[in-house]
Amino acid sequence: MLKVDNLTKVFNKNTINEKKALDQVSLHLSPGDFVTIIGSNGAGKSSLMNAVAGVFIPDSGEVVIDGINITNWAPHKRAGLISRVFQDPMSGTAASMTIEENLIMALKRGKKRSLRWALNKSKREYFCSELEKLGLGLENRLTTKVKLLSGGQRQALTLLMATLEEPKLLLLDEHTAALDPKTADKVIELTCRVAESSQLTTMMITHNLEQALSCGNRTIMMHEGRIILDIKGTERSNMTISRLLEMFNKASGVQMNNDRMMLAGTL
Amino acid sequence: MFSLKIAQGTLELGLMYAIMVLGVYLTFRVLNYADLTVEGSFTMGAATAAVLIINGTNPWLATLIAFFAGTIAGVFTGIFHTKFKITALLSGILTMTALYSINLRIMGKANISLLKTRTIFTDFQSLPFINADYAILLLSFITVFILGLLVYLFLNTEIGLALRATGDNELMIRSQGVNTDIMKILGLALSNGLVAFSGSYVAQKQLFADASMGIGMIVAGLASVIIGEVLIGTSSIGRAVIAVICGGIIYRFIIAIVLQLGLEATDLKLLTAIIVLIALVSPSIKSKVTALNPSGKVREE
Ligand SMILES: Nc1ncnc2c1ncn2[C@@H]1O[C@H](COP(=O)(O)OP(=O)(O)O)[C@@H](O)[C@H]1O
Ligand SMILES: [Mg+2]
Repeated sequence: MLKVDNLTKVFNKNTINEKKALDQVSLHLSPGDFVTIIGSNGAGKSSLMNAVAGVFIPDSGEVVIDGINITNWAPHKRAGLISRVFQDPMSGTAASMTIEENLIMALKRGKKRSLRWALNKSKREYFCSELEKLGLGLENRLTTKVKLLSGGQRQALTLLMATLEEPKLLLLDEHTAALDPKTADKVIELTCRVAESSQLTTMMITHNLEQALSCGNRTIMMHEGRIILDIKGTERSNMTISRLLEMFNKASGVQMNNDRMMLAGTL
Repeated sequence: MFSLKIAQGTLELGLMYAIMVLGVYLTFRVLNYADLTVEGSFTMGAATAAVLIINGTNPWLATLIAFFAGTIAGVFTGIFHTKFKITALLSGILTMTALYSINLRIMGKANISLLKTRTIFTDFQSLPFINADYAILLLSFITVFILGLLVYLFLNTEIGLALRATGDNELMIRSQGVNTDIMKILGLALSNGLVAFSGSYVAQKQLFADASMGIGMIVAGLASVIIGEVLIGTSSIGRAVIAVICGGIIYRFIIAIVLQLGLEATDLKLLTAIIVLIALVSPSIKSKVTALNPSGKVREE
């Protein structure tokens, strides 16, 4: 399904700020895989997603989805294959437009847009039934402008928009980090439910180790641009948070006390 | 005094300028792009139509060609901005400046008279059942009605939504697979097409085209958009379109009234700048007033 091979990206090459964000990263996902990604700040987690989403072109290596090499595709061209939810609840929706207008744009993700009138009754009914599943009462507010929604409501809407037209690959970059804990739990629960029910291939970055182990079927840990841990199957189901921290220390070397605290601190 | 005849003339001009205001609305509000190309494309529309008409082209065709001339100007600004990464403001200034020379080339001299020539208005007058006294008014009204309706319909199509989203949240609509560069170029093209179309109408009403008739047009357009929005509101697209059209007409009446009150025509641009300044500052004044008034309900937009 997704094949990332030997991806390398160096930012600000040959300057004092040179930074190797990705160092020969390889990752293969099977259809329906849900991988959670953990690692300290600056480990390269977002860079991995950005390379997959086409935000930048890697220095070397390739990204292949379903046999198609998309390494050099512009981001908007990948939209038919990939959908994304960002950390900032403001970034996934158009604030001045209504809920139904945002949804109709998502329904057209990666498809040709025409001069046809965008909305109609059957689409509205479809949106209502999909919004109902969120359990936030948004189904009664189709013509409300998105800027009037709370952060959690906007993020739930963004998640619905990302999955309305099923992508090959769903990318979630700390998409609950800006929400209060209760709302975050709700959005995570929603995420797992949606990904499971449609068997979406998903990559989710999280700072929450408990989430990392409870969601999905595979967990990878990144450090200094490399994948240093990759657990699945029984190894993963037997994993505890404290053992995960321990493994992190072992794999990354003993000098990582700060990072350890950073990870532990988010629990 | 403000005679009925002056009022009618003002209304006619207001309707024609409202076409330009629709164009400014597309860039300034929908795309969130302050486009100075307008100053050049307004003149370009007038110049193109005038030259074609005095050389014997059918005035309706000449008016249509003026529209397309404007779209080309918009495409250039769009390419400067999206492909060459020049700021929005500077891209518009570059096209506007280039157009000053180009417009003089088109006309061959600084102004062209359309006295005693056939225009869309003389054609319309000669239709059966059309009262000659109201021909200009009626044709301008029909034109604004149709164009306003088209803009409204367009902004509700799939492409229209993508255009609006480009002005609202570029990152979001790009991740939905929309090429936002193309959207900006499209928006600028349509906008400047409307502006040039407006210029060709004004030239045919005033019976001349002049190399400097577009000067100050952007600020007049902004003033009109803001006046309309403040008076009528923007809670939906339909309402916003009606608002900016009315804003264009009201703006012309304000100008006509102050001229009647004895202000020099040369002082108008100063007055317009002051109107825009007040309008731009007033939302913050308004929010401060409502903040002081605990019972004041917050209006949606
Ligand atoms: N666009 C960029 N320009 C320069 N440096 C960047 C850029 N994006 C990321 N980096 C750097 O690359 C490293 C990895 O960043 P990132 O992938 O965002 O980490 P994470 O998401 O794991 O916290 C960091 O040191 C970061 O400063
Ligand atoms: Mg990150």
